[in-house]
Amino acid sequence: MLDSLMDWLVSTPINGLVLNYAWSWPTLESLHFLALCTLMGSLMIMDLRLIGFNRIIPLQAVHSLMPVAIVSFAINLITGLGFIFGDPHTYFANWAFWAKMLLVVLAGLNFLLYFTKVEPTILKLGPNEPTPMLAKAVGSLSLIFWFGVLSFGRLLPYLGTGGG
Amino acid sequence: MGFLTWLEATQFPAEWVRSSIAGYPSMIALHALGMAIMVGLSLLLDLRILGWFAGIPLQSLRRFFGLAWIGFGINFFSGSFLFSAQATSYIVDWVFMTKMTLVLLGAVTAGFLQPAVAKVAPGAELSGGTKAVAGVAIVIWVVAIVMGRLTAYL
Repeated sequence: MLDSLMDWLVSTPINGLVLNYAWSWPTLESLHFLALCTLMGSLMIMDLRLIGFNRIIPLQAVHSLMPVAIVSFAINLITGLGFIFGDPHTYFANWAFWAKMLLVVLAGLNFLLYFTKVEPTILKLGPNEPTPMLAKAVGSLSLIFWFGVLSFGRLLPYLGTGGG
Repeated sequence: MGFLTWLEATQFPAEWVRSSIAGYPSMIALHALGMAIMVGLSLLLDLRILGWFAGIPLQSLRRFFGLAWIGFGINFFSGSFLFSAQATSYIVDWVFMTKMTLVLLGAVTAGFLQPAVAKVAPGAELSGGTKAVAGVAIVIWVVAIVMGRLTAYL
């Protein structure tokens, strides 16, 4: 099944777009790096506040950074798909790639937990009020998962044996 | 050049970074981590200074700048190690040298903005000059990241 998926990925025009121009890959990489910075920057401010750092920030205000995180993630999803369309065989054969994807999924599930259980309670809290235990846990897990995504992403070419 | 030639010939860190299993990957991973902390936080703090996310009190930015410097420290350390491995090639690479200049300028903007936002009274506005520095800082960081990535291609 993975083989037919890889065959399809390399048969698409996106594959040619990513591979046939010298500037495509470095452009995708630059965008991937820029958006990872804004993703991690916005997450650090939000998650650290959830954990209890810098309590003078109202939780409602810290929440205004959420669109930055979502747009940054969308950019990295799109540019990341560009890499996969360009060179699926290398990525799919690399265990570090799958570890990174697993962490992205875990971070997504953690976000769902935030969205359904944490956000409704914390938006009612006043300034300087301590956040509930669940909020601290979700904030900590978010930082662990996303810094894991970053580390596995950067180590991908050195950890896996996919060649390339 | 004498110093750089010597540095590049050292067993540690230069040879360790070049040929050990852990050397280059560990330093490059730390470099990505420090980048996310320093540049990620700086970009968001600069946007706040420009007026975005106005609900976040300016007085709260000082502690995030403090965290950003930890990222800068990680990258000064990991970057020095990576530099040692190819010192004589990096020093004549204009893309790398442009990146280094921009990173130093970016650090200068953070060093200027951190005390500037700490001093502002609650409810008071930041000066136009402070906002201009934040705007310039965003451009500096964006170009620095792109140049840093392109260093791998030259």
